[in-house]
Order: sequence, then C-alpha cells, then structure tokens
Amino acid sequence: MKKFKLNLSRNALSESKLLFPIIVLMLILLFDFIFIPGFFKIENRDGNLYGSVIDIMRNGSIVSLLAIGMTLVIATGGVDLSVGAVMAISASVAGILMNPSALKNEVFFVTDPTYTFQPLWVVILVPLIVAIICGIWNGMLVAFMRIQPMVATLILMIAGRGIAQLITNGLRVQITYRPFSLIGQGWFILPVSLYIVFVMLLITWAITRRTAIGMFIESVGINDRSSFFSGISEKNIKLMAYTFCGFCAGIAGLVACSNIKTSDANNIGLYTELDAILAVVIGGTSMAGGRFSLVASVIGALVMQAVTQTMYAVGVPAFALTAIKAVVVIIVILLFSDQVRNVIRGLGTQKNEV
Amino acid sequence: MNRFKLVVFLVAISMILAACGPAATEAPAAPAATEAPATEAPTEAPVADEGCAPNCEYADLVVGFLQTGSEGGWRAANTASFKETAEQLGLTLKFYDSQNDLAKQVAGFQQFIEDDEVNVIVMSPLEVTGWDQVLEDAQAAGKIVILSDRRIDGNEDKYVTFIGADFVEEGRKAGTEMCKLLEGSESKNVWELQGNVGAAPAIDRGTGFRETAEECGIVVTKTQTANWSVSEGKQVTEAWLKETKDVQGIFGQNDEMAFGAIEALKEAGLVPAEDVKIISVDATAGAFQAMLDGTLNVTVECNPLLAPQVYEAALAAMNGETLPKWIPSEESVFFMDDPNLQAVADGRKY
Repeated sequence: MKKFKLNLSRNALSESKLLFPIIVLMLILLFDFIFIPGFFKIENRDGNLYGSVIDIMRNGSIVSLLAIGMTLVIATGGVDLSVGAVMAISASVAGILMNPSALKNEVFFVTDPTYTFQPLWVVILVPLIVAIICGIWNGMLVAFMRIQPMVATLILMIAGRGIAQLITNGLRVQITYRPFSLIGQGWFILPVSLYIVFVMLLITWAITRRTAIGMFIESVGINDRSSFFSGISEKNIKLMAYTFCGFCAGIAGLVACSNIKTSDANNIGLYTELDAILAVVIGGTSMAGGRFSLVASVIGALVMQAVTQTMYAVGVPAFALTAIKAVVVIIVILLFSDQVRNVIRGLGTQKNEV
Repeated sequence: MNRFKLVVFLVAISMILAACGPAATEAPAAPAATEAPATEAPTEAPVADEGCAPNCEYADLVVGFLQTGSEGGWRAANTASFKETAEQLGLTLKFYDSQNDLAKQVAGFQQFIEDDEVNVIVMSPLEVTGWDQVLEDAQAAGKIVILSDRRIDGNEDKYVTFIGADFVEEGRKAGTEMCKLLEGSESKNVWELQGNVGAAPAIDRGTGFRETAEECGIVVTKTQTANWSVSEGKQVTEAWLKETKDVQGIFGQNDEMAFGAIEALKEAGLVPAEDVKIISVDATAGAFQAMLDGTLNVTVECNPLLAPQVYEAALAAMNGETLPKWIPSEESVFFMDDPNLQAVADGRKY
C-alpha cells in the first residue's frame, strides 16, 4: 500500500506539468457549463463549426503561438520581451506588401478582394524572414554579447514598435486581400489559425523531443557553464531558441493582422509578451529555466483565453475584468508553489493515515 | 581582433535601433513666415504683448506646440493639421513631441516659456493635474496658453481657452442617429463597446449616448470595454453573439471597435449595417471605407483638424479679445447612404 502511494505521488509529480493547467482549464470550463447556458453549443454552419469553445481556441491561437516560442526561450533561462513588437513588425511588413499606399503617407481605398501588391508567398515569407532576423538579433545579444535577456530583448521591445510605425508611417493599413485574410479568418471545419498552432506545436515538439535539442535546451537552462563543459554549444542553443521565438512571433503577427484585416502598428501585439510569459508560467515552466512542456504552455494560453471569454459571457463589468483575471492567475501560480503543494500533500497523507 | 570589431559593430547597431524607437520627431516646424519681433515691452496686461496688438496678424504669431506623442491615425492627423495650417497661414510653429512622457512635456513647456520668440503656447496636456506652477510661469512671462484636444483641472484663469471635442455631444449624436436607424423596430436592444476604463471620452460618450438613446426606448443590454482596439472589439462581440443574437444595434465608441464588431457579425452569419445597425465615433478613413462597403451605418466625427480653430483663437487672444473658456471643435455626422460619400471620403485627410 505504501509503495503504491509513493508511486502515485511520483507519477503525479512527473506529470504535474500537464496536470495542473489541465485541471484549471477543466474547472473554468465546468464553471461555464454550469453558469452559462449554451456555452458548449457548437453550431454547424456550411460544414464549419462555430461555438464559444472554438472561439477560445481561435482567439487563444496568437498567445499559443507566442507561448510555443517563449517556452524554449524561458527554458534556456532567458525571456523574450520583444515578441509583441516583433508581431507588430511582421504585421506591418505584411500590410505594406499588400497595400503599399501607407508608404506614400496616404490612405487609399481598396475594396477589391483580389488586390495585392505582391503575391501571397512573398507576403507571408518576407515578414517571417524579418521576424527571424529580429530573433537572431535578440539571440546574438543574449548568447554572444552576454547581455542579460531582459535587457537585451527590452531594446527590441521598445524600438520594435517604433520600427513598425516607421514602416507604416504610423498609419493603420487596411488588408483586403482575401487569400491572406484566410489565415486568421478562414475556416476549414475548424478555424485555419487552429491548424497553424497545431502544426507549429507538432514541428516544435518533433524538433525538441525527437532529437536531443530539447534536452540541450533544458541542460543550458539548468546550468549553462556545465553544459558548455560537457560539450553542448550553449551559445548556439540560445541563439536558436531566440531565433525560433522570433519566428513564432512573426507567425503570430500574421495571424493577428489577418484576423482583423488591419495591420495596426500601434496595437497589434501590445502587451501580448506578458500574456505569452504568463501562459508559459501557467504551463509550469520555471522562469529560472530547465524543464519545459510545450503542450502545457499552449494549455496555459487557453486557460487565459477561457477566463477572458467567460468574463465576456458572464457580463463582468469592464472595471472588474482585469482584477478577476489576476485572481485566477494567482490561484494557478500558487498551485505551482512547492510550499502550497507540500501543504496539500501533507493534508492528503494525514487523512489517509487516519 | 575580429571579435572586437563585431562587438563594436553590434553595439553601434543596437544604439541606432534604440534611438529610433518612439523617436523624437522634432521637426523644426514650418519654414516661411517672418519671425515675430521679440520685444519684451513690460506691460501690466495679462495677455502677451508683442507690440502689434490689437492689429496682430498670423505672421506675428510664433506658436510653440506641445503634442502628446504618437498614438495612431487620429494623433498623426492632429499633428499634420498643426504643421500644414501653420504653413498656409504663414505663422511660425515650433513643434515639440512629448513622447507621452509628462516630464518631457513639462520640460518642453519650460523651454517655450524661456524662448523669447514664442508668444503662444499650445498644449495637449498628458495629465489633468500638476500644471499650476508652469502655468504661473507662463503667465509671468506673458505667454498666451491655449489647450487643445485635452483639458486640465482648474486653473481656468491661467489659460486663454480650451479647444476640443465635446465627447458627451458626440455620444448624444450617436444616440440620436441610433434612434433614427431603429425607428419602427420591435425590440431595440443595443450593445455598446467602450473605450479604456475610466478614459474621459469613454465615460462621456457612454453618458451622452444613453441620454438620447433612451428617449426612443433603446435598451443598452450589454456593455463592455474593448480598449479602443479592433481585435478586442471582435472578441467581445463574438462572445456576446454566442449567447444571443437578439441585437438590433451596436455602438462602438471609436471606429476600430466597430470594425471588430463588423468582422464578428460577418462571421456569425449576420449582415452588418442591415441586420444589426452600427454606429461609431471618430470618422477616420477606415470608417469611410466601411461605409462605402456598406458595413457601417453612421460615424460621428471626432475632428483632429483643430489647428485652424486654435490659431484663430490664438490670434484673437493676441489682439486682446476675451474668449470663452471652452470652444467645442466643429464636428459633423456622416451617413452610409450619403450620395456624395465617395467625394467626402476622397477629401478627407485622415
């Protein structure tokens, strides 16, 4: 009996990365199930599925994408504050490539859904390359210049939005090109952005868990010096993590601007870096680096979106919105605290022994 | 050695990058214009005396303008209006970008006070309080102070006038138009997308809207903040639509949030501007496009082109006229079914 219990707790410990975020998500959904009639209703419209639950996943897809990249960066013991700004840059570049009128500092009206300045593959590829360059920039500063991650990425966080505004001349660029708007607005049974998240998750999982890279990242996060002495090129690993994070932010920027058919340098990705970090933390990855779980981070992003969606549906007054979100986050973070866990575990064993 | 070069190179790049963030765009203002004579005739008049009163002309004006910083289309149009109008009228404009930083704005204000050439200071204050001292200094130095777009608390005797929008009136106009749109409709359920919690335009537009909308039996069934942004406007509307589709009108307190609502309605299979009437405030270029597309019914203007009114007031003050403490900016309403809409849209600057 004693042996069994030991096994269970060890299991619970090793799985806890996924377990806690899932429990929290389930609790929120349970709340919705009880208090919001029709929350789980899924509508079939021309073969496509619509519903609140799908909204959660779809609106959570931007933060999910960021969280995937951010997980790797945080696992190396760093943090990337610039993802929101990189989103804005990527969205601005894409916007300009489709509707260059803003370059001439004028707004002209395009209503033709097939109008675009450059073909679709350019519109998608160029912003992603720019985003990757931003990522490389961060990675160089952190890995080779030895600048603290928070400081290094702060530069691009502040400058990046300025760059995005320079690109679009501070104007909001309207996107009318239909094929591009499918990225954020299209449906193929499920929203297209969901597939993007899924594919990215799969690719990242394969890269990190089917090869040794994931282990290298964790090792660098736990102790970069000893990783270096054991033959892991910690600089390259860090560079790779930041570059990949930039790439993810680039995709997120494309999804964000296509979802609202506007490339808005001022608002796209504003404060989302904080959401992404929070999602990773809710997913149980320690800010100190080390062990990480990609799926848990994505679930973390969904937890936050589920809370937001619930608030809207319940009709919480605007001024209470942020406070209630904060309470949920505090509860989740507390669940990860060893102190709190010990107390819970202590309670459990005492009961059993009695 | 190579590595050292790389370091130097990267540091240089990072400095350049950091420098072009929300960069200081201290445009040295419009050229042209003869600079005003910087005589400092000591007089007891509270109004600045440049020796030309009461026959001052625009050419005698040297205006120091303290802008808040860059935010988006509206602010950009506002800045452009000050620069272009100054050029047209032949007055001298000294532009100062406060970069949304109160300390910088105060510093800029003091700079203008000490600048002998400047005789009029125009400011869009970042905060409502904390201006007592600088305003006193300005008065002592004989400068005319005009507030544009944003107001401050108290100190009414220390500035000449405030020129800016009447947010309550904007809300009232929106409410009246919503009444017209929903005339004859059985139920009149309207959703409202608010701006930032606690922002003056958000509060005032909401109040004004309810004043006139409730007269014709409109019920504001749902209201939530969408922080002035498209994506949040879309998310909020989406969530509401999942719950009920019993909605006849949506009031977006700015254009962007209304655009979000339009996208959400389209996705939910409703026809915006037909099934659900939509009214927004601001009348930016995007709103005109939406109206041309037939997805937005009405937009109430929030005019950023304040410069002509501001300069006119400045000139009047120079000539010793007394002005009302608040001059509401000139604003109109635009409709989707206006036959001249295309022409109006083409003539717009923002």
